[in-house]
Amino acid sequence: MIEVRNLTKRYGATTAVAGLDFRVEPGRVTGFLGPNGAGKSTTLRMVLGLDRPTAGEALVHGRPYAALEAPLRRVGALLDAHAVHGGRTARGHLRWLAASNGLPRRRIEEVLEQVGLAEAADRRIRGFSLGMRQRLGVAAALLGDPPVLLLDEPVNGLDPEGIRWIRTLLRGLAGEGRAVLVSSHLMAEMALTADHLVVVGRGRLLADLSTEAFLAQHGRARVRVRAVDPLKLADLLRTSGTAARPVEGGAWEVSGAAPEEIGALAARHGVALYELSLLQDSLEEAFMRMTADAVEYRAVAA
Amino acid sequence: MSAALALRAEWAKFTTLRSQWITPLLAVLLTTGITAAVQAAYGRVDTSLEDDPAGGIYYGLLFGHVAVVCSGVLLVGQEYASGTVRASLAAVPRRGRFYAGKLLLGTGVGLVVGLLSVAGTHLATAATVGLDLGQPGAGRSVVAGVLYHPLLLVICLGATAMLRNLTAAMGLLTPAVFLGTTFLTALPGVREAAYFLPDRAGLYAMNYRADPAVPYGHWTGLLVMALWAAAAAWGGLVSLQRHDA
Ligand SMILES: Nc1ncnc2c1ncn2[C@@H]1O[C@H](COP(=O)(O)OP(=O)(O)OP(=O)(O)O)[C@@H](O)[C@H]1O
Ligand SMILES: [Mg+2]
Repeated sequence: MIEVRNLTKRYGATTAVAGLDFRVEPGRVTGFLGPNGAGKSTTLRMVLGLDRPTAGEALVHGRPYAALEAPLRRVGALLDAHAVHGGRTARGHLRWLAASNGLPRRRIEEVLEQVGLAEAADRRIRGFSLGMRQRLGVAAALLGDPPVLLLDEPVNGLDPEGIRWIRTLLRGLAGEGRAVLVSSHLMAEMALTADHLVVVGRGRLLADLSTEAFLAQHGRARVRVRAVDPLKLADLLRTSGTAARPVEGGAWEVSGAAPEEIGALAARHGVALYELSLLQDSLEEAFMRMTADAVEYRAVAA
Repeated sequence: MSAALALRAEWAKFTTLRSQWITPLLAVLLTTGITAAVQAAYGRVDTSLEDDPAGGIYYGLLFGHVAVVCSGVLLVGQEYASGTVRASLAAVPRRGRFYAGKLLLGTGVGLVVGLLSVAGTHLATAATVGLDLGQPGAGRSVVAGVLYHPLLLVICLGATAMLRNLTAAMGLLTPAVFLGTTFLTALPGVREAAYFLPDRAGLYAMNYRADPAVPYGHWTGLLVMALWAAAAAWGGLVSLQRHDA
């Protein structure tokens, strides 16, 4: 549905995107991941024909975006929720978009309803919260009922409720057979939303794999466990053959096991536990390791 | 088909944003209102206005055309200021088509403003000092007065497309039209060149009588302005096609 081939963009001395190759397939959510300045937004702008590539090409439905007739019926995009005129109402903003591609007026009402802005439709965008602006941006992307969606950091600035809403929406859209590309710099969020991951750093492709594969490689859950008697626990973990390592405070981290197993094991051997928890931050850590060499601006450790 | 859609999108943008349609409305009101007030107050006594009837008829235009400038700047400049230009170009990715929609709307708005303003100023003049449309030059003055508006609007629209910045375009074009060219014609040496500036040339085309100091005829004045408009429109297109959005 979207094909990016050797896509390259240089701004003077800065290389924002360096020979990127990937595809966005229908029926799944593709997470486009990378730290700040990795070139995600630049890539999306090139896909939409807004920025001209220095080399390479991006094809949508096998053609350059600019060659599409009524492009909003083929591709829906949310680039920047702030790029709207505050003086227009939500309905007014969608009206000119609909007019530009000959979309029926009822689509305006449908998408306003779908994103939950029906009540605010005739209010000026100037008074919208960031969350409402993101919803309006999503409404604009959905206006032409397109089979391809490109969303640049749609969860930026959303509260947990809004984040869950976006996640459910994207999963639903992919479930209908659409190709969904969504950029983010939050690995943990993408692990929940995306079926496939394209990871970039400094404009280069770092990984292109299914979320499942990524989780299998990097996301093995660790269990943190602490016992009344640390020595007894250490003995138990050693003899049971689990991959455990001691961490500070007399606690242990066990990888490759579920909390249920560790709890049952401790109970069988009469080891009383103080603490038993699942650690999920390993995804973010794996992402940071993967992109560490590619981070553009980094706080220098003192 | 799609060019018509591009125009319809521009029309929808125009009607859904108050500043976009208030500004041309203001142009009509300023031009007509100030002409009416000045004619009523001074028209019968001030001989300098009677010297050339156009001076009185179009007196309000010297204020109203600033709003015409603003209107042309806003049509393009607000897209850059708000960032909607990217959404616009994603919706209409052929830039020539997008720009044609802007130009058509701008020309249309300019024509309507021109027709209303010229009708208003002539009616006000007829009602106050009296108007003789049979005079030599009167017909041309009406035609030039109407066309001045779309031409000025297109010049500002094209210039803003070249600058790609609302504030810069406002800051440059408004004072240029309001003050600049009047000052320039006061400077010896620069004066001759200043006659070829678009607003000077366009305003001269509205005069009933000839000014021996002006190095061209009335119709040529309108042509000079039209050439400026064509150049600005073309420059805006080139800029739009050359730059990343
Ligand atoms: N118009 C431009 N002119 C010059 N440099 C640019 C331009 N746009 C982007 N860049 C540079 O290109 C690089 C990639 O930027 P881009 O915005 O694509 O990254 P990103 O992955 O979207 O980052 P973020 O997560 O912060 O949104 C950065 O170094 C940025 O400074
Ligand atoms: Mg970005």
